[in-house]
Amino acid sequence: MDLFPLWNSLRIAAISTVITFFTGVCAAYYIAKTPRLIKGVLDCILTLPLVLPPTVIGFFLLVYIGPLGPVGAPVMKWFGWQLTMTWYSAIFSTTIVAFPLMYRTVRGAFESFDKTLLYSGQTLGLSDSFIFWRVMMPTCKQGIIAGTVLAFARALGEYGATSMVTGYIPGRTATISTTVYQLWREGQDALAYKWVFINLAISFIVLVAVNMLESRYRQPKRAVKETLSEEDM
Amino acid sequence: MKKFKGFALIVMLLCAAIMAAPAMASAADVVVFAAASMTESLNKIADLYKKVAPDATIVYNFDSSGTLKTQIEQGARCDLFISAGQKQMNQLDATADAKINPKKLDKVMAGTRWNIVANQVALIVPKGHNPKHIADFKDVATDKVFLIALGNSDVPVGQYSEEIYKNLKLWDAIKKANKISYASNVKEVLAQVAAGAVDCGIVYTTDAATAKGKVEVVTTAPAGSHKPIVYPAAIMKNAKNAKGAEAFAEFLKGNQAKEVFKSIGFAIPAK
Repeated sequence: MDLFPLWNSLRIAAISTVITFFTGVCAAYYIAKTPRLIKGVLDCILTLPLVLPPTVIGFFLLVYIGPLGPVGAPVMKWFGWQLTMTWYSAIFSTTIVAFPLMYRTVRGAFESFDKTLLYSGQTLGLSDSFIFWRVMMPTCKQGIIAGTVLAFARALGEYGATSMVTGYIPGRTATISTTVYQLWREGQDALAYKWVFINLAISFIVLVAVNMLESRYRQPKRAVKETLSEEDM
Repeated sequence: MKKFKGFALIVMLLCAAIMAAPAMASAADVVVFAAASMTESLNKIADLYKKVAPDATIVYNFDSSGTLKTQIEQGARCDLFISAGQKQMNQLDATADAKINPKKLDKVMAGTRWNIVANQVALIVPKGHNPKHIADFKDVATDKVFLIALGNSDVPVGQYSEEIYKNLKLWDAIKKANKISYASNVKEVLAQVAAGAVDCGIVYTTDAATAKGKVEVVTTAPAGSHKPIVYPAAIMKNAKNAKGAEAFAEFLKGNQAKEVFKSIGFAIPAK
């Protein structure tokens, strides 16, 4: 059995998740600081891919990064890279659809962040980047991990936009989702089932790992509560 | 009370939206499932038919014949089915060989099947963009072609493409080199070539003609490289509007329809 789709899906999802992580956290942090009107508009634009059908996103991507499009044609001319019908074209589509999930989850976590910690850090003379990486991020760990997992899961399961932008080229751009569709179309149900189970297995492993991570991070709070109750006595 | 008013308003808006949505095909409509390559010709014919039978409304569903066959198999409402390949119609015809119709589907109304048009396949490239001078079907196996768009094995044009390359003994070589970009129907192949996303593709000559401004034909398939491309049409057994389908089928066999088909580039089969 040709395992290329498995390896391809995983690498696309992994790269998209890394990109979404940094852009999502960045966007959430800076947009939380902007004035209300700008925040509202930017929020709408950045959350749009969550509401749009993936085929609409695929269509826009094809128009812009296709070989004859306003972005695709110059890139083709200057670098000789084709932005569609390659395995890395999928990274565009998966990043765009996964971004709102990461962004909104992290923004929620940042907005519920206790500002007194931020102020204490500032009164102690700590730099903004120190406060961000060593105080804010660890405190908002739950939300950030949840966002990352959602983004990874969405990137792994993305079909509509990916199939439009990368097509289906076995051995070059096939992902698990496009392979299952093609196998069903060709009537190869048995093989399609195998891929469905592989996908279920991966999703299951990811979710179990996440649950284990979450329970590990929850324990310190319990320890604090216990010591406090002892002191009260 | 305020909350209830808001909720009621939303519900009313939803109902209005649902009622304003176009109605599904009514019993008087003739639902025609046709191969994607017939889009332009059948739309023209529907306009002509409106002048002859103003009460009839033709509702089309254009897609690859394989997709349409699967939809019919799953119970979709279809009065008249026009396939681009005999295989897809045979898979629904109880009189066909058991090897081709293993599920023994019996969807075709006896005595209504006929061959409506004949077509040819051609190798196309994006218009004005053939830097490596692809000139023949055999060039696909060389370095001149990095990607070729073909219909997948459920699409008739994909089946004809596979047949051509198997006869040229190049099919395995092309597959091994991962050169094939599979598309779900012939219009998708056309779109991929027109966008320049692939180096070349194989479509029907009629499709290449409809997209003259975006693609150009390099060559047509050599004689004998594939089975004759003849499109079968038939009325479905459980057609909700069999009478309407019969009337439309008669129109399709008539001279007006034949002129439209010929103008697009189809040939009319002898029988």
